[in-house]
Amino acid sequence: MRIRLTVNGRRQMLDVEPRTSLLEALRDGIGLTGVKLGCDRGECGACTVLARGRPIYSCLALACESQDVPLETIEGLGAEGLHPVQKAFVAADALQCGFCTPGQILSATALLRRVRRPGDAEIARAMSGNLCRCGTYPKIRKAIRAAARKR
Amino acid sequence: MTESKRFVTTTVEIEGREEIAVVEVPAFEPQPWGKDARLDTVGHAVPRLDAIDKVTGRARYTHDIHFPGMLHARLVRAGIPAGWVTKLDLDRARALSGVRAALTGADLPRIPWLGGEPLFGPAVHYWGQPLAAVAADTEAIARDAVRLARVRYRPASFQVEPPAGKASLRTGHFGVTPPETRREERGDVTAALGRAEVSVTAVYRVPAVVHQALETHGSVVHWDGDHVTVYDSTQGIFRVRRELAEHLGLGQHQVRVVSEYMGGGFGGKNSCGAYTVIAALLSKATGRPVRCIWDRHEECVDAGHRPETEFRVTVAARRDGTLEALDVEATVAMGVDGWPGGPGKIFQELYRCPNVRVVQRFWYGNVSGMESFRAPFHAEGAFALESALDLLAQKLGMDPLALRRRNHSTEDPAKQRPYSSELLTQCWTSVTQRIGWDGARKRRKGSGRFVRGVGIASQIWGAAGGPPAYAVVRLNRDGTALVQTGTQDLGTGARTIFAQIAAEALGLPLKDVRIVVGDTDGGPYTNNSWGSMTTPSVGPAVRMAAEDAKRQLLEVAAELLRVKPDQLEARRGRIAVQGGGGASVTIRKVTEQLGDIMIMGRGHRGPNRSGVTVHSFGAQAAEVEVDRLTGRVRVLRIVAAHDCGRVVNPELAESQLHGGIILGLGYALFERLLSDSQLGRPLNLGLHEYKIPTYADIPEIDARIVSVADTVANHVGAKGLAEPPIIPTAPAIANAVFDAIGVQIRELPLTPARVLAALKTPS
Repeated sequence: MRIRLTVNGRRQMLDVEPRTSLLEALRDGIGLTGVKLGCDRGECGACTVLARGRPIYSCLALACESQDVPLETIEGLGAEGLHPVQKAFVAADALQCGFCTPGQILSATALLRRVRRPGDAEIARAMSGNLCRCGTYPKIRKAIRAAARKR
Repeated sequence: MTESKRFVTTTVEIEGREEIAVVEVPAFEPQPWGKDARLDTVGHAVPRLDAIDKVTGRARYTHDIHFPGMLHARLVRAGIPAGWVTKLDLDRARALSGVRAALTGADLPRIPWLGGEPLFGPAVHYWGQPLAAVAADTEAIARDAVRLARVRYRPASFQVEPPAGKASLRTGHFGVTPPETRREERGDVTAALGRAEVSVTAVYRVPAVVHQALETHGSVVHWDGDHVTVYDSTQGIFRVRRELAEHLGLGQHQVRVVSEYMGGGFGGKNSCGAYTVIAALLSKATGRPVRCIWDRHEECVDAGHRPETEFRVTVAARRDGTLEALDVEATVAMGVDGWPGGPGKIFQELYRCPNVRVVQRFWYGNVSGMESFRAPFHAEGAFALESALDLLAQKLGMDPLALRRRNHSTEDPAKQRPYSSELLTQCWTSVTQRIGWDGARKRRKGSGRFVRGVGIASQIWGAAGGPPAYAVVRLNRDGTALVQTGTQDLGTGARTIFAQIAAEALGLPLKDVRIVVGDTDGGPYTNNSWGSMTTPSVGPAVRMAAEDAKRQLLEVAAELLRVKPDQLEARRGRIAVQGGGGASVTIRKVTEQLGDIMIMGRGHRGPNRSGVTVHSFGAQAAEVEVDRLTGRVRVLRIVAAHDCGRVVNPELAESQLHGGIILGLGYALFERLLSDSQLGRPLNLGLHEYKIPTYADIPEIDARIVSVADTVANHVGAKGLAEPPIIPTAPAIANAVFDAIGVQIRELPLTPARVLAALKTPS
């Protein structure tokens, strides 16, 4: 079936199967490989994208259901120079292997758009759906606090 | 060492195994950078060179490699734990639209796999073992095709865990395989136990745990004419190249392995996987690039794990706490396959003790094989040793810290020779001061619902690194440099610190140095990234290559400045007479004079010194709160102090410490891979059923490095760091729980059920 996705402010037409996940459509259909597949069943958060500004697991959304929903991926966030959250991640070394990083940054960005100065409990609640095996959590927390202070 | 010999033998320790290697003696050894060396780039917390690529999503991992016409491979896997395949029919799979190839054992050349049996052979040894493969236009079609495969089996009896009691430890995977047993003894343990004033005996158990790198194992392979290009999520590009070439009957020159970015390894990606071989054969069959990536379930079933291990430990001491004997029997459940390492080794190494007996049994059974996992065998052994010491301390009525101090060893007790450097007492002091040890240990526990406790544990780890490791540094005509080395960056920051070392040695600003790693065609041989070896192995090679290039550069500059080369030094992009005051010239000016006459420096890692032990040390203290109503353990604080020689980049080193500690926290509290002994299959596949730590679990972590350059270890001064921080975390947490509730839990993870059961035990 032919669908229309609005990703990072651009409308794109693509052919998918009804069963195609949003994750597959973004990665394989549009080539946005900043969206990562870590589990394909809503457990790890590596595939996080923003839908109407809210973080969702794109592996659990169907591409055909995501039409007319403004979507934002990591490629859109940094399109015009680094976003303040991206800068904070770099400054705090809030990444190691980097595989979970796009999802972490998008969840953090959504949190900071919603809450001006999130406390540790709010950070833990908002971010706990994004797993990291390298152990960058303390530095991601630090990056989020730094990004909140800077604005 | 004889000066005139170009090749000598040296000993290299890799994760507890010692290998004797013939190595090339360097043409020159740079002067070591001492602890007071004036360094402009090394030792500075510069951001990771690949940080921008990673925060923007531009970093391309193996999972992200895409070619037009690329096919997707999926595997047919065994649905029984042991037996034989009597029929494997892929006709319906082949007939599915979009399926381009299917391979069974009959279609494969004989590739020796498990225990030398052929890959895709008929014998099944574990649930989930690969039996056949399909390649299709999309991943979804390949999955559909796998479901259409018809497999019939003749089942056989099986065993997924070691039987209780020693007598029956005979069941193995290929018929009856006796467990391998290794026995080592120092002194006379039986005699020492006979005369001991105090002793404790206990059995400790650690579970099987899975690496769970976020990027699952996988390869994309293109077999194009005579050449095979492999994109692989691996810790060892050169090892994958060698093994794949052997499997396929190709020359190594026909295989190129690339791992530019990889999403975590933790020890689980050290060799050529079935996914690589299968992708290569499917690519050969179809003429198209083939992608074969494990899914999360396969990651839990067929990608290796830290093995379940049981330790029976007796510790004997004098009444003042002086250790007299350590007696340990360790039984490791290897699964079908693995390398028999040293779960008892930490008992031989960490403390001074004249009598140590280690019996290590390696039991083979019908689950997938173990793999190295960050500090393999030491993380397991540390839990048993450090728990047993706290049990002894309780019996002696002695402070656990005082007990450790009493048995501190200032030389290597296993080899009875000096350490290159050793700061374990400083580590103990650092962590106990920061955690408020004395006050916390004396605190009354009270009888309320929540009780707190503190615990300490120590760590030791072979951290010398060693040859072979090579690097090349090329200077461009504009005075910039290219560093090439065949290592890979797993996320540790290797790419960044080697660029820092090269910049330092060349006297160039870091921005003028580009580094290429992770490509067998892009740099000379370097070993796997394992055993915390990369920095102390590749670091000196990179430095030597840069020093070699600089030596040539200074010769040219000396001509221009009309001075002798040894009067000159290069710093921050400028060459000047040492001590200042004289003439100077920029590096760029010199290379522009040369034009396209290229300066190339070559460097390699020299042999390790004999007669000295190079180890990393560390200590961690944990503070926990135990909920006596629910049994839940909450870790409030971890403080860590580690001795790893020189730190090339303090920010990245701290990240490594965090990583080890958080992996150790999961090991202590949640993680275990369960197998059903009746069905013979693993039960908790995926990250929902198998819990790894996330934000809400993370305590306050204060991790520091207390060491300076170790100039005996190598001329960069660095010892290994990556594995050490996981070693003491779980025992420190367990000892803190012991302190809080007064009962020792002897099995990881410390689940609420185990805590509640312990609370019911009369103490």
